[in-house]
Amino acid sequence: MLAELAQQIINGLTIGGIYSLMALGLTVVYGILGIAHFAHGSFAMLGGYVIFFFFKKFGLSFFMATALAMPLGVVFGIMIERFAYRPVRDAPPINSFIIALGLTMIIEGANLLMFGADQIVIPTTYHGVINIGPVAIVELRLYVVITTIVLILAMTAFINRTSTGMAVRAVAQNRSAAILMGIDVNRIPMIIFAVSSALGIAAGAFVGSLFAISPGVGEGLVVKGFAVLILGGLGSIPGAIIGGIVLGVSETLAAGFISSSYKDVIAFLVMIFVMLFRPEGLLGRAQR
Amino acid sequence: MSTKGFRVASILFVLVIVLLTLPSMVKIPYYLHLTVLALIWVVVAQGQNLIQGYTGYVSIAQGGFMGIGAYCSALLSVKLGWTVWLTLSLSPILTGIFAILVGYPSLRVKGHYFAIVTLAFNMVIYIVLFNFRTLTGGEAGFTDIPRPGEFAVGAFNFSSLPSYYYLAVAAAITATVFCWLLVHSRVGRNLIAIRQNEALAEAIGIATWRYKLFSFVASASLAGFAGGLYAHFIRFINPDTFTVAQSLNAILAVILGGSGTLTGPIVGSFVVVFLPEYLRIADFFRLIVYGFILILATIFMPRGIVSVVGKLARWPTRSR
Amino acid sequence: MSTAFTKFKMTSISIMLIALTGLIFSNGVQAKEKELVVGVSDTLTGGGATYGMPQMNAIQLAVDDINSGGGVKVSNDIYKLKVIAYDDQANPTEATNSVRKLIDRDGVKYILGFCCSPSTSAVASFIGRENAVMLVGNAAERTITTRGLTNLFRTRPPADYSGTAAGTFVATKGVKRLGVIGALDIAFYALYLEAFEREFLKTGGQIIAKETFSLKDRDMTPQLTKVRAMNPDALLVIGYIEPAAFVYRQSIELGMNVQRFGFTSGNEEQFLTVATSEQMEGVWDLRPTELTLEALKDNAKVYHKVYTDKFGKTPAPMSPYAYDQVYVLKHALEKAGTVDDTKKVIAEISKSPVPAEAIMKYLPIEGKMFDKNGQAYTSNSAFQWQKGKWRYIADLPSDPAAYSVYLHSLRN
Repeated sequence: MLAELAQQIINGLTIGGIYSLMALGLTVVYGILGIAHFAHGSFAMLGGYVIFFFFKKFGLSFFMATALAMPLGVVFGIMIERFAYRPVRDAPPINSFIIALGLTMIIEGANLLMFGADQIVIPTTYHGVINIGPVAIVELRLYVVITTIVLILAMTAFINRTSTGMAVRAVAQNRSAAILMGIDVNRIPMIIFAVSSALGIAAGAFVGSLFAISPGVGEGLVVKGFAVLILGGLGSIPGAIIGGIVLGVSETLAAGFISSSYKDVIAFLVMIFVMLFRPEGLLGRAQR
Repeated sequence: MSTKGFRVASILFVLVIVLLTLPSMVKIPYYLHLTVLALIWVVVAQGQNLIQGYTGYVSIAQGGFMGIGAYCSALLSVKLGWTVWLTLSLSPILTGIFAILVGYPSLRVKGHYFAIVTLAFNMVIYIVLFNFRTLTGGEAGFTDIPRPGEFAVGAFNFSSLPSYYYLAVAAAITATVFCWLLVHSRVGRNLIAIRQNEALAEAIGIATWRYKLFSFVASASLAGFAGGLYAHFIRFINPDTFTVAQSLNAILAVILGGSGTLTGPIVGSFVVVFLPEYLRIADFFRLIVYGFILILATIFMPRGIVSVVGKLARWPTRSR
Repeated sequence: MSTAFTKFKMTSISIMLIALTGLIFSNGVQAKEKELVVGVSDTLTGGGATYGMPQMNAIQLAVDDINSGGGVKVSNDIYKLKVIAYDDQANPTEATNSVRKLIDRDGVKYILGFCCSPSTSAVASFIGRENAVMLVGNAAERTITTRGLTNLFRTRPPADYSGTAAGTFVATKGVKRLGVIGALDIAFYALYLEAFEREFLKTGGQIIAKETFSLKDRDMTPQLTKVRAMNPDALLVIGYIEPAAFVYRQSIELGMNVQRFGFTSGNEEQFLTVATSEQMEGVWDLRPTELTLEALKDNAKVYHKVYTDKFGKTPAPMSPYAYDQVYVLKHALEKAGTVDDTKKVIAEISKSPVPAEAIMKYLPIEGKMFDKNGQAYTSNSAFQWQKGKWRYIADLPSDPAAYSVYLHSLRN
């Protein structure tokens, strides 16, 4: 019984890590720019497809392909901000939501055209399984979790320790004051989208290697990402991290100990429950 | 009659003639079939417009409410054998009851939170419809849903496509008139006040909570009614028709047509149904083209087609 | 008589004789070439495209074969086939629109394809009232052929027809405690399990777990962990290829060393994208024979080669359900002698034997390909993954006649 519990928690940590990554990419964009970047899921999957393409066409290893895809993703993310979201910055929020929808369609359509409808899996060389007693830890999953932690630490350090990070936090707190302080506020959205895109590409890499990428996976992930945001608090970075892990583990425990049919309902029931009793989320600020 | 009144009356007159004679003018039944779908969408879009355009709360649950209305009407008419006219009339009421349950937690929050919570509800509705196989048939769906008055004779038999078309026209007109009345009443003015500045509306003593809930339930009921119409038209339903994608279509219809107007949802519904048909030519590019149209329309035509057309129509009389 | 007049007579008679000869030749020997448009409604984009695209390709292949072989000979005319295909996105509304368009706007009377159940059921709910013939392929939902529709025929047998045979087979492998994981929310997979269970329980076996996954799931470790804790002798995986491949991989990763049986279909390529050959070693697939080169005639090998050359990937095992539809139609049209009278064509399809060009291994009912329900039956087989390939091991004894009677009794 205990062994089963331990195994399920290990199972849940992996998916939780991926949820956290998705949520982080969403929360920086929402918290600082106020944009609900619905297209993030499809964007992340595009990253995964591109990494697969680099592997297939040029024979690059998993890490090399990902390293190559990152800067491309960052550039594309910056372009999305500049040409799709910025024109509607001052319009009602529903407009940026529609833009996100349109972007999702374009990216999904492009993915379908370029990579087809069959699922793709990014092969890695890590096939090993580490057995600690009755608990099996798949090597690849371990690396994914470790890399996710590293990325999160890097991002936190960036936000809290660098001067650019400080500028970002200043804009988040008070945009007009930040302008008065001489901060170039037009650079900030670029930086935010660069960070978010990098996190998205990483998420795509992990989903592509651990599971599979196919049409529609991105949309499912981004909804879970928003569920994490609601749970952890819209705009809160620690909330996204903790919320992701909590969601991943609870889904797994529910599927393992209650019923697997209603696994996805957990995320939504959590959202609704949180809305009823603590709308700002576990760690969020009071809603605007 | 003033020139403006005359113009409006003549447009209405032409419209009525077109509506009445459409079935005989359209030679290919397929286009009439699409028109019926578009008219059903008008009902959904008018509902979406109530909560989104007039109250300012973007709900992503219309698809789920359509599903509730559709399954209610289908279940009552197939399993219990009730007459379709009765089940169609009950579908908005039953959906409205569910909407109260959904609205209570959702309306406690605003803006993006509200949107995401309604999306969560839509997904829960889908999952329940999918998993509750003994009641809903699950993924296999519900077949052989009857047409209204299927066993009646003559004018009361709505089995054929043209007769269902007239039913759909009646439904669309009813929905539009209902919204028109609502919007021009005190209730409507209060809703607009909430959209423009909720804090101020509360401060002057408007019971915003009650009006918001009313608007949400009314919009959901319209969606439920449309769902019932859909079920008896296509005669087959399964959960895949009532996903978040449908809710997004409803939002699109309102935005593209013109949010906060009464003609906007009508135009938007036809666009949402017919545009993908025309884009079929470039079948594999369909998604990409649709996405681009959306983005360009939102950036350059944020107030919808109706506002652009309105500007063009006023052009000759515009003062220099 | 004047010679001028005789000359005139001779000339005019000759001209008439020549004209008459020309007429005889042009109407008799020289058949006119015409075009027959057939419609395809299938899932070409989205999640169901894994099943819909192979069917689309197979139909195109059959049409090209027939056209290059001289077309379809109906009465005195030769028809070249032309395909108009619409994507139904596995969505009921889209499917209804596609078929409505084919019938109303494109004037099509013969509609093929239909890989996915929801969209197929939607069309089946109105096709009975149309002047058209519907040939269903991979869609496995049982109720599609229990509706008593005379103009609907399906080449793929319902899922539970294979379940019965599989249940007996698994028991013979000495399995007593079986853990099941499958897409059990989908009616036809649940019916497969029901039929399986009836046979399996008779032999004293026990099903200790029934876990679910959906089409979009890729992480089945929670379900597998739960089943692992119950100590099963074997695992039964029932569901779509793409998640099933992950089940097989993750079962090994979790250290489960048990016999694994499945009802998934899928060729080697589809599984190797996800799992290694070692992880798949020993897995059984208990399903209709479908495209298995070792179990079929030579035309299957030819099909495999031509398909791979033309489309760049190996054909999905279920793709010939659609290929065979085209030949069924061809023979029926030729025997009926008409392309317009659908009643005659339907009558011919109902009594036709299995076409010689058909690739799947059908078991005829009373010498005919389709039974009273419009349903065709293939043989069921057991396949096992050995060293990177699916090997055909044995035929699973099946009784299509008995099943046909059972299916007929389900008419509502």
